[in-house]
Amino acid sequence: MAPPAQSQRSPSPSQPSGKGEVSDLKSQLRQLAGSRAPGIDDSKRELFKKVISYMTVGIDVSSLFGEMVMCSATSDIVLKKMCYLYVGNYAKVNPDLALLTINFLQRDCKDEDPMIRGLALRSLCSLRVANLVEYLVGPLGSGLKDNNNYVRTVAVMGVLKLYHISASTCVDADFPAMLKHSMLNDSDAQVVANCLSALQEIWSSEASSSEEASREREALLSKPVVYYFLNRIKEFSEWAQCLVLELVGKYVPSETSEIFDIMNLLEDRLQHANGAVVLATIKVFLQLTLSMTDVHQQVYERIKAPLLTLVSSGSPEQSYAVLSHLHLLVMRAPFIFSSDYKHFYCQYNEPSYVKKLKLEMLTAVANESNTYEIVTELCEYAANVDIPIARESIRAVGKIALQQYDVNAIVDRLLQFLEMEKDYVTAEALVLVKDLLRKYPQWSQDCIAVVGNISSKNIQEPKAKAALIWMLGEYSQDMHDAPYILESLIENWEDEHSAEVRLHLLTAVMKCFFKRPPETQKALGAALAAGLADFHQDVHDRALFYYRLLQYNVSVAQRVVDPPKQAVSVFADTQSSEIKDRIFDEFNSLSVVYQKPSYMFTDKEHRGPFEFSDELGHLSIGAESTGTVVPAQRVEANDKDLLLSVSEKEESGGPSNNASAYSAPSYDGSSVSAAASSQMLSELAISSVTGHASQSSLAIDDLLGLGLPVAPAPAPSPPLLKLNSKAVLDPGTFQQKWRQLPISLSQVYFSTMT
Amino acid sequence: MPPLMAIEFLCRVADVLSDYLGGLNEDVIKDNFIIVYELLDEMIDNGFPLTTEPNILREMIAQPNIVSKVLSVVTGNSSNVSETRPGATASCVPWRTTDPKYANNEVYVDLVEEMDATINRDGVLVKCEIYGEVQVNSHLSGLPDLTLSFANTSILDDVRFHPCVRFRPWESNQILSFVPPDGQFKLMSYRVKKLKSTPIYVKPQLTSGGGTCRVDVLVGIRNDPGKTIDSITVQFQLPHCILSADMTSNHGTVNILANKTCLWSIGRIPKDKAPSMSGTLVLETGLERLHVFPTFQVAFRVMGVALSGLQIDKLDLKNLPNRPYKGFRALTRAGEFEVRS
Repeated sequence: MAPPAQSQRSPSPSQPSGKGEVSDLKSQLRQLAGSRAPGIDDSKRELFKKVISYMTVGIDVSSLFGEMVMCSATSDIVLKKMCYLYVGNYAKVNPDLALLTINFLQRDCKDEDPMIRGLALRSLCSLRVANLVEYLVGPLGSGLKDNNNYVRTVAVMGVLKLYHISASTCVDADFPAMLKHSMLNDSDAQVVANCLSALQEIWSSEASSSEEASREREALLSKPVVYYFLNRIKEFSEWAQCLVLELVGKYVPSETSEIFDIMNLLEDRLQHANGAVVLATIKVFLQLTLSMTDVHQQVYERIKAPLLTLVSSGSPEQSYAVLSHLHLLVMRAPFIFSSDYKHFYCQYNEPSYVKKLKLEMLTAVANESNTYEIVTELCEYAANVDIPIARESIRAVGKIALQQYDVNAIVDRLLQFLEMEKDYVTAEALVLVKDLLRKYPQWSQDCIAVVGNISSKNIQEPKAKAALIWMLGEYSQDMHDAPYILESLIENWEDEHSAEVRLHLLTAVMKCFFKRPPETQKALGAALAAGLADFHQDVHDRALFYYRLLQYNVSVAQRVVDPPKQAVSVFADTQSSEIKDRIFDEFNSLSVVYQKPSYMFTDKEHRGPFEFSDELGHLSIGAESTGTVVPAQRVEANDKDLLLSVSEKEESGGPSNNASAYSAPSYDGSSVSAAASSQMLSELAISSVTGHASQSSLAIDDLLGLGLPVAPAPAPSPPLLKLNSKAVLDPGTFQQKWRQLPISLSQVYFSTMT
Repeated sequence: MPPLMAIEFLCRVADVLSDYLGGLNEDVIKDNFIIVYELLDEMIDNGFPLTTEPNILREMIAQPNIVSKVLSVVTGNSSNVSETRPGATASCVPWRTTDPKYANNEVYVDLVEEMDATINRDGVLVKCEIYGEVQVNSHLSGLPDLTLSFANTSILDDVRFHPCVRFRPWESNQILSFVPPDGQFKLMSYRVKKLKSTPIYVKPQLTSGGGTCRVDVLVGIRNDPGKTIDSITVQFQLPHCILSADMTSNHGTVNILANKTCLWSIGRIPKDKAPSMSGTLVLETGLERLHVFPTFQVAFRVMGVALSGLQIDKLDLKNLPNRPYKGFRALTRAGEFEVRS
């Protein structure tokens, strides 16, 4: 609230008048301080306004502290507010002067007007001067018992502020217990909400040192407390509702009927005008039903409409935040959203970050029934003015092709792209055709015919050029002039700046040599010579390797460089399922927006070096040229944004994962990598919580993303514990309704998900 | 903190500030430091949002309007804040000011709809959806209880409500029952999808060759909504590879704006002829044909009709001392209405 205290900064040259004006103000304030003339408040107010506006623009007016305090004796509430603001801003840097204010703030804390009592208490707690905390305890204590709800709300927050200034003072004064009492008994919902927020913060940070606090923290998640909040949820403000819903999301019900009761009670929250409430409710629903596969899926069906509405209303920022969550859900259960694919069509005006997400979702939801329409739509984007999006959409077409069985039509579209005569379209399409051929070698005839017409001179982008060269090498049997194209490329070896292309050139000319030796021999010799003289270490080494291999035995060389290949059945996923599950557990947080689990952007060690991703790029090239199959994303590694390269780094941390990717072409690495990284995570978790013994089991559960009960609740057994019947439907009808929602998926998916 | 909570809160702060200050920009904020500080002080404490209901804030912090300035000069009372702290927060209707009084009791209900449509290269309506809001402006004394019912709620695809709407009557009978906040607010927002037709058609045609591109755009009424369609505009972004453009129309005005946007303002469609715009784009030298196809964005407005077909059946008011005036309006305008070429 308070503007940044910039008192240390010397007034900049652009504010030369600062000093003179401040001393002017000082004398004027002095004159007014003692006066009791009528209308004095108006002139004071003008002066105060000046002081505050100086303060806001960064002029140091702390020298007026004494005068301001002297003038603060007034009944005018706006004057008081300005004065509090001033004091709150400068007290921290002038602890000695702050002592002066204690007196009048304490007096105001006993004012008749509750507004003034509240404001004074708030300012008192905002002084943030450690040696003044003793003066806070008294006013806070009486503030918590004040008969006005406004003062109590302020006092609760005050306790939290006190805790942050001096935790021991706060705990010694027994404030947490008082807060707990008000939380469970106060009539005002805002007071209750503030208590909850304060207690959560206090007990979480106390939990590491005190067993009692960690017990208390767990007690917040006990049935009586959660039910108490649920029963009052409609009294709370929308923000407090978010807080309560977050609490409920962590609660683990003991019986199935409880789950239905809670969902029944909360269902109307899905129609709240505030998007934050809707998302928080969705999180509760998803968490509660994790173990009930059929109901969990019905939750998806139920939340679809509210999410789609949220996307289409509100600012681009809001819709992006919602879209990221929708994206997460679509990726988890694409088939549920496959009939809503039109919602993911891009609008011309949308910012490209929104379009990018939508393209990914379109790719995910494509299935047999809607592929044709989706691909048609995507093809329209390829002619888009926005070139990055045009590229993305071509890639999307390719991805759909790779995940479909019937690719006939799509291949035709891709080949049309090649003929569009736009260099970036051609480039993207070439890369895709290459991937496509790796999965569906049976299409080689059609593709080769078109690819053969593309002049390598028109291709500039390294990746596209590499793709073209790969095809030249791989299908040199069918492409009539392959050796000659390769030869001309080798002649221009010096002009080829990308090491990736040169590496591919070496491999391709080798493959070509095995198929058509007489025509290629000369080119091979030239390539090896150029490669040996290359300054790039990898290129040099590979040339040397091939040379020696050929020297040793040509047929062995052929087996190494150009073995018969199996078609790729599944391209490895960029993100491990472990990481996706972690993100899902952190639903309704920034993790979803960033598309990575929170430890990756909160822990220092994970934020660090990005250079590693570069190395990985080279590594992947090496892997591909050995002829084994490499996950598609490796090839693209360079243009993945930093976020993804971090997650890749994470994956490759498990050595077993990498090794398996090399040896087995059609291997689906996800399970191994998941196991490897989960092991890594648990190690990490253990190492990070040493010293917090009491917390460790919790932390591991949390990190592993298991929805296990946090701890046995301290077994209070009130028989009267029930959710109130204000819910819309009676429990029976509700369960009935939820069981009847349409089911549109195979069980296979959910068995993997839980 | 959940991301949406932060974003929603920031939007709310922006709304409240612009409501108080009659606009939101750097200068306005600089001129009204004090009010901004006061508001923020009440809206958030220690990073947690508190009161964001405009009605309650208005009771705590006076608006810097001319009336209060005049009043303070006349009466000599400099405090622009009511002396007592409102009890409303403790009441059961947190969004409503305590007991407002009006000489004329009035309530206005507006249906405001936006049509989003995408028409693809082949003239096929790919997607057509309506996002609508029920906006209410209420100036009613006391604690009135309102019920609003619609003739055809079955068309609504998804709805979202202001916190004042009671959920149970909606769930059982599709009736909106609520105690309104004072002043202007958004009672409900809804979405209607899978509409079959748009009120107007826009047919662009681009033929290029020999370094130029011929553009023809036709506009006309496809599905007459029964009321006048006005404020029709068609605009498109000229591709980068265009050197010059020469566009004319038989109705309305055509302007090439500074950011290479071609804006054709049509207004209303005349009875006797179909408006058309045509012209030639000269491409960069060396370019034979145009490879990038512009998207045409269409805007229009129809007063008096909600194109989704949603109709208000009746509005009942209870708890009112005298008969209020009830007003209803409807308006549809184009949202993201785009035609690809």
